Amino acid sequence: MAASRKRILKEYGECMNDTPSGMKINFDEQNITEWEILMDGPDQSLYAGGHFKLRLTFPTEYPFKPPVVSFKTKIYHPNVSNDDKGSMCLGMLRPEAWKPPNKVISVLHLIQTLLIEPNPDDSIEPTIANEYKDNRKEFEKTAKDWVKRYAK
Amino acid sequence: MDPLPQQSTQPSPQRDLVFCHVCENEYYRDEHGLTCPECQSDFTEIIEPEHDPRSDRMADDEDEEEPSFLQLPRQNPFHDHRPWRETPDPDDGDIGQIRWTQTGPGNFSVTGTIYRTYSPSPRRGNEAGNDTHDPQHPIINSFATMLQSIVGNNLGAGLGSGQRQSQGEQTQTQGGQQSPGTSPNSAQTQGGPRIQDIPGGHRFTYHQTARLVPRDANHPHAHLEPVDDLNNVLASLFGALGDHPGQRTPGTQPGQPGQPPQMNPLAALFAAVLNPDLAHHGDFVYTQEALDRIISQLMEQNATGNAPGPATAEAIAALPKKKVSVEMLGPDGRAECSICMDEVNVGDEVTELPCHHWFHQQCVGMWLGEHDTCPHCRKGIMDRSKHDENTTSTLQGAASDSSGPSNRSVPSPNPTPQIPGSFGTVESGTAEDHFLVPETREQQREHEQQAEQPSPNDQQSSSPATTEASGGSISERIRRGLFGAPR
Repeated sequence: MAASRKRILKEYGECMNDTPSGMKINFDEQNITEWEILMDGPDQSLYAGGHFKLRLTFPTEYPFKPPVVSFKTKIYHPNVSNDDKGSMCLGMLRPEAWKPPNKVISVLHLIQTLLIEPNPDDSIEPTIANEYKDNRKEFEKTAKDWVKRYAK
Repeated sequence: MDPLPQQSTQPSPQRDLVFCHVCENEYYRDEHGLTCPECQSDFTEIIEPEHDPRSDRMADDEDEEEPSFLQLPRQNPFHDHRPWRETPDPDDGDIGQIRWTQTGPGNFSVTGTIYRTYSPSPRRGNEAGNDTHDPQHPIINSFATMLQSIVGNNLGAGLGSGQRQSQGEQTQTQGGQQSPGTSPNSAQTQGGPRIQDIPGGHRFTYHQTARLVPRDANHPHAHLEPVDDLNNVLASLFGALGDHPGQRTPGTQPGQPGQPPQMNPLAALFAAVLNPDLAHHGDFVYTQEALDRIISQLMEQNATGNAPGPATAEAIAALPKKKVSVEMLGPDGRAECSICMDEVNVGDEVTELPCHHWFHQQCVGMWLGEHDTCPHCRKGIMDRSKHDENTTSTLQGAASDSSGPSNRSVPSPNPTPQIPGSFGTVESGTAEDHFLVPETREQQREHEQQAEQPSPNDQQSSSPATTEASGGSISERIRRGLFGAPR
């Protein structure tokens, strides 16, 4: 759709001008609806030192439908599904919570914020969320372990 | 005729047993040949395991003969039912303490006790501290504890944990050892089945009392089912939970880690059923977590269903247009339509929503066609009372609605949330309550008029619902229904 294409290009320009720290966007001119994002684990988070690959997919109805975020790198996080999809679906990314004025750059900031501070009350992995709440030590250990194992 | 010792004799491969059809005598062929020693009849037959003439005959003769004491067992279809035929008897030493007690004139009570030692699996023999790697183990333990609380302390220590032994069994543990012959003292066996931890595994004590009552051969007796008490049933259950005695790996010492835990199928079944990680069966769940999972799954399946319904085309078309003025531009003198992110210039025509947010007509039209919310603040563009009338008129047929279109097309100065099916918890007034019986049109008009008059109260009460559109979403409704009103 021409309108969404135009907007995606505009947003890409915006992201380029103001890329969140530790992020790199691989942009394919042929397929602008699939962004590959390389993200360093934020320094102040458990995921520091890890390099995560994410895919941001824009639906054809964008901006009327939210973009889809998925972690290609395995990550131990209550808000990222622990499967091959690695999907992240919360807050503004929820279909019912999405509104067109939301921008990709705020999505990227949201992801970073979540890595620094997971949101166990809006989790996609209840088991991990409970561990985060009740057994933080164990959670941190596994999260760091996974960074070493998968995100180096 | 002295059939007593022979009645119970099974044909053995070595000696042929012969049955006389005339006098029903049984004798060994090598002693008397094929002619019956009793009646000299030659109407005899060799009894073979596949074909036993005795049972046929008994069925035929049932009416002719009065059942006698000795024939009664034959009539029981299970008199030859011995499913444990192939199972070796418990060791002699396992059976002990057979006692006959006269409980009354002619009444006897026979008490026998069988000890059976079940070999442990390596896992179960481990120290309790080593068991953390096996999630199923504590489950079985807690199951044992649960059963223990049902039957009282008769079960003694539960499976696995050697630390839960009671005092009496502690001493017994020393004496029990692996040899089944050293039987516990009688005080222990009085209480029914016991499960003890012994170094080699768990010992189950079956304690069965038979009631013997003198038979009256002349009158039929009521059939007495042997009654096993709960303790014995549970002891058998625990026996089944243990590993089969034959499965013990020779040389494996209990407490030696590293042996792959082998689950008895029954134990595995219980572990699977009771394991909180697997706490759902189809749509049936046992834990809050599993319920949450199902609810979020449902919500994901109905992702679009959560969103507010679409605004009508008339309502969208009726939104006021206005030219972009200088005041509408941002501080830096620029402004853009937040949907397409295209810049707008002074003099461009944009569509303004009741909440005073503005967008390109085309952009906001596409959005409103799917969700009746402002893309910015989520306020609906259609008035609630109009919407009610809308649905009512659809139900009643368009013909009865004369004022509808014009009413609908004018956005109310004070729009209320337009969420179909909303519970409307923050509003008051019957018109907002979707659980009430639909009103008559007159009543509706009245409410409409009331709603048309903007009152500060109304404004106040409606705002919390409009700030976030989730007020009427399915997820919110489910949450509200399950866990009460939101904080």
